[in-house]
Amino acid sequence: MSQEHVVARTIFTPFNVVTGIILAIGGILTIMRFTMGLGAVTNLSHYNPWGIWIGFDLLVGVALAAGGYVTSAAVYIFGMKKYHSAVRPAILTGFLGYALVVVALHYDLGKPWRLPYPFIVSQGTTSILFEVGACVALYLTVLFLEFSSAPLEWLGFRRTRNLVVKLTIVLTIFGVVLSTLHQSSLGALFLIAPSKLHPLWYSPYLPFYFFVSSVVAGLSMVIFENTLTHRYLNHKMDEEHKTGADPLALGFGKAAALVLAGYFSIKVIGIANGNHWNLLNTPYGYWFLVELLGFVALPAFLYAVGVRDKNINLIRYTAAWTVLGIVINRLNVSLIAFNWHLPSSERYFPSFIEIGVTLFIVTLGVVIFRFIVTRMPILYQHPEYEGH
Amino acid sequence: MSITRRKFLGWIGAAGAGTLVGKRAGAAANRHFTGHPDSMGVLYDNTLCIGCRRCEAGCNAVNNLPAPNRPFDDLAVMDTPRRTTAYEYMVMNRYDSDSAPAGPFFRRIGCNHCLEPACASSCFVSAYTKAETGAVTYDPSVCVGCRYCMIACPFEIPAYEYDKALDPSISKCHMCHHRIVEGLLPGCVEACPVEALTFGKREALIRIARKRIQTRPDRYVDHIYGEHEMGGSNWLYLSAVPFREMGMREDLGVVSAPQLTHGALSAVPIVVGLWPVLLTGVYAMSRRKDKIAETEKADAVKEALDRASAEAETRLADALAKAESEKQKAIEKAVKSALEEAAEKAGTDSAETTSEEES
Amino acid sequence: MEKGILRSRWGGLPVAAVVVLLFGAAALGLEELLDKPVEDRSDLIVIDSMATLGTLERPPVPFLHDKHTEALEKRGKDCAACHLRDEKRQSPKFMRLKDADYESVMNVYHDNCIVCHREISDAGEKSGPVTCGDCHTKTIPVATGRQPMGFDLSLHYRHSKAQDKKCETCHHEYDEATKKLVYVKEQEGTCRYCHKAQTEENRISMRLASHLSCIECHQKTMAKNKIAGPVHCGGCHDLSEQQKIERVNPVPRMERKQPDVIFVKSSNPEINEKDRRINRVPFDHKRHETYSSTCRVCHHAAMSACAACHTQSGKKEGKGVKLAEAMHQIGTETSCMGCHQLQQRRHSSCAGCHVSIPANRQRSEAECLTCHMPPLTEEAQTAAAGQSGTDPFAAELLASRTPVTDTYGDEDVPEKVIINVLVDQYEPVELPHRKIVRTLVKNIRESKLAAYYHREEGTLCQGCHHNSPVSKKPPQCASCHGKPFDEKQPERPGLKAAYHQQCMTCHEAMGIEKPAAVDCVGCHKERKK
Repeated sequence: MSQEHVVARTIFTPFNVVTGIILAIGGILTIMRFTMGLGAVTNLSHYNPWGIWIGFDLLVGVALAAGGYVTSAAVYIFGMKKYHSAVRPAILTGFLGYALVVVALHYDLGKPWRLPYPFIVSQGTTSILFEVGACVALYLTVLFLEFSSAPLEWLGFRRTRNLVVKLTIVLTIFGVVLSTLHQSSLGALFLIAPSKLHPLWYSPYLPFYFFVSSVVAGLSMVIFENTLTHRYLNHKMDEEHKTGADPLALGFGKAAALVLAGYFSIKVIGIANGNHWNLLNTPYGYWFLVELLGFVALPAFLYAVGVRDKNINLIRYTAAWTVLGIVINRLNVSLIAFNWHLPSSERYFPSFIEIGVTLFIVTLGVVIFRFIVTRMPILYQHPEYEGH
Repeated sequence: MSITRRKFLGWIGAAGAGTLVGKRAGAAANRHFTGHPDSMGVLYDNTLCIGCRRCEAGCNAVNNLPAPNRPFDDLAVMDTPRRTTAYEYMVMNRYDSDSAPAGPFFRRIGCNHCLEPACASSCFVSAYTKAETGAVTYDPSVCVGCRYCMIACPFEIPAYEYDKALDPSISKCHMCHHRIVEGLLPGCVEACPVEALTFGKREALIRIARKRIQTRPDRYVDHIYGEHEMGGSNWLYLSAVPFREMGMREDLGVVSAPQLTHGALSAVPIVVGLWPVLLTGVYAMSRRKDKIAETEKADAVKEALDRASAEAETRLADALAKAESEKQKAIEKAVKSALEEAAEKAGTDSAETTSEEES
Repeated sequence: MEKGILRSRWGGLPVAAVVVLLFGAAALGLEELLDKPVEDRSDLIVIDSMATLGTLERPPVPFLHDKHTEALEKRGKDCAACHLRDEKRQSPKFMRLKDADYESVMNVYHDNCIVCHREISDAGEKSGPVTCGDCHTKTIPVATGRQPMGFDLSLHYRHSKAQDKKCETCHHEYDEATKKLVYVKEQEGTCRYCHKAQTEENRISMRLASHLSCIECHQKTMAKNKIAGPVHCGGCHDLSEQQKIERVNPVPRMERKQPDVIFVKSSNPEINEKDRRINRVPFDHKRHETYSSTCRVCHHAAMSACAACHTQSGKKEGKGVKLAEAMHQIGTETSCMGCHQLQQRRHSSCAGCHVSIPANRQRSEAECLTCHMPPLTEEAQTAAAGQSGTDPFAAELLASRTPVTDTYGDEDVPEKVIINVLVDQYEPVELPHRKIVRTLVKNIRESKLAAYYHREEGTLCQGCHHNSPVSKKPPQCASCHGKPFDEKQPERPGLKAAYHQQCMTCHEAMGIEKPAAVDCVGCHKERKK
């Protein structure tokens, strides 16, 4: 009796209402997309074939889902057991991220039902995109397997669960290999169009930039997502997870400071390699400096300060800022610095429907994340499997 | 750390499976591709072109494209610059010039049929083929609609049928490949009344173009566009005015698109081969470190215990020895006092005895 | 403490967002909106006189001369406000006679310009800049519309008339011995023979020389209240002003004791007739004087015979250019053949046919002999060439030349030619053949060049009926032109293109607007299916 009362009261929380509206609108937009075609719902053109569904949903999504391989590599390959509590949330974020990337891809492709064609019908092995597709498909499988231990525990399939856990180290190594390949290849996609990408962002080092920044993105996203789950899902955490949050922030913050510093130096080396110093004194140059100094150098410094002073709050804010920086970088390469030479009448800005679909997919991810985390042993260890 | 045979084979197998992600390095190899022998091409000479748009009409007819909004003899269409669209494989643009030579000049925009096409290199379902006729053809039956070819093309040619919901495909000039193989001329070439479009073998066209420049140096810019741009193309251009004044990019360089991605692609097998080794090595090292740490911990514990027990024993022995020596001392003391007592007693007795004898 | 950080952090976000948006907007190129069209001015002088005295610390200053003269005139000031005079003339430099050194020249400019600008702005009027960056601008806000100025025969005649034919007023030579400028009669030439683009030692540049002499004289004449030439920049260098200059037509002949009709000199001294290897060319110098706007078109380096510098084997004074090249080189106006060939393309009456005939084709013997005419008599063969006036043998040869001013009669020139070989989308073309031929003949009849070179009556026909011998019945187009893109004949268009290229090229070169090339039905009616 009181149970029903509780249920009736809590289903229309503000979060549920807002996400519910977004999901409902998203459903409508989905129908529109598949009945009216790309031209009617997007602002894509022959000059701008890729919009935010690729620039944000795909590129940013894959970069931010990198926390999965970074965390599992840290714990299982590099043996940093104190971050063990962060592995499952990171793998879940990764798995959901990649799964939703594939969902978003279905919106963007002209003929999404042909997505398996590159693997089974006609292989275009000269294409970087082939490599991206193959590695993302394989990595999604790896993530699925890595994640599957949680639902298996939840469902009680002990033997299968134990088998999956035995595969952890192989899956982790495979995951790092695949992640290196596809994270760098997403950058390599743009190597083929030097005439269309602004020289400050185009470099033969693009694959390295994307790979290194994906490590940064992964580390920062894990800290950021950790912050959010602590705030909103604290009641689901066990002691190990609760106490593990601060050491996680410190440790990952330290790593992020170092990797950001390395990323900064290879970016500068890239400018030197192309001798593009004079371009820094142009409007696009100023924007590049905003990205480089404000979203690479600054967070490197702030992370270092936070780690030195054990200022967990500073680290958390820096993580959020770095995530924003990754978003800006991916949008720069794919949309802002791309086609920079075209007149403004031919430049792209997303339509409301494109933005709506993107919002829908992100919301879907958040909602599914909450669903899984509140039911499966992600933020706590299943009592039957304590000690693994 | 000891690895079981099974585990080792498992890892090697995983690494080997990774090599299946490798690829043929054919078109991306470090060779300079000069085109299929005897491949055909088209030479567009804008000093002959009068801008009548018959070529566009011919292309439209031969490819059964839908009728345009404004008819082909409406030359005012060229007042605004156009680009290829989903239903226009080629368009003519007009460029007016005030300086000598006085314009207007016309430019043909359409697929240049590169020797090493960026679109073919970028397509992950191999929907594009560089045919032996020289044409770059497109197969809509495998196309997934990812539109990466549109990103890749440096000349911004492929167009997409965004208006189609269920069956969108790429649109682009295919040099009337289906007509060429039958000995016919491409639709645009056949329609041109002044032979501004010359059809022939690419090598022959380059020689013709060079001859034209040599014979009339005052009439032509001394450059054949398409001879080397992006590695060379089968569609060549001669112009009376600098190409950039007609919007044709002169900064594309001579490196073909596949060569631009060759480096990144060839790194893939290396990563697949090396990363598992490195990561396994790191894993092994970290496991070893943990094991050593454990062993050291166990050793330290054992050592501490041993030391503790040894210390205890020594202390016990000391205590026993001390007790023993104390006991001895006590015995000696008792014996000594007994002896003294006995001696005393013996002394008094002997004194009495002595005195008795004397009496 | 923490609360404090929190507040500033949240406050920083909107600031950061605004900064980011601003940069983003800048990156999108909002400065495009600020593009203004650049004005064309003929009086733009870029002041960089200190460049020869040291390294410029700031960009050179763009200065509009006419703007300043107009402003000063309104205040009743003249050239003397800025230009000092020495005994001889007004100095073209600003407020000084000589450039002393870097510092002093800089001070001259600063002290005078800025002071004057301040005075005017103090008086409440619009004035020039007074701050460093406003004068020393990085980019020059106007474009130079200055047209080069020079004399042509008409303007020279007007000047010589105004000076009562006193050549010594302007013409001089430099005497090395006395180191003075002296006048030498009958050695007058263009200023440019000595005054080049740059000042060399004490020989001033053409720019300086012309400004010093011309403007000085114009000023003096104006002072005497007589009609004079311009003293403002725009008066000479502005295109519209140049077009307003009064022209005398026909220009009376300049009297400089130049030859009338002679043989072109082949060497200096003249080659002996036994060693002569080709017929001498009789040359009507008097008539040729009227063909160019200046003498220096042909007499490009000296007012003497070509052979003085251009010898058979070439020498240093002629920059190694041999006589043969000097006479025959295509593509330059200074050679005989080059100029003739340019006339073919310059005049619309000729250009229609000649634009398609390759310029540097191999010429036939008959064409050579049009100029290198065989002497008429034995006496003519051996006589030495005259030096001036009229050489009788040359005059005789020229008189013997027979101009061809017409082509075949009506019986050989069909009135209409029906072109029906390729009928498909259009009806056959009814070419008004005789009308075209007669119009061409009429247009070129006045040209002596055409008349002498169209050696036979049928030569004119070769404009269209090309690549075949001269004939009353030339071959049909389809005899040679067939299917297009024949590998064996890569330069030969197919029949359809042959027709179109031939007609359209001629029409375009002649400036014929109707029928337009894109007006298909203007030439052939559409065929109704």
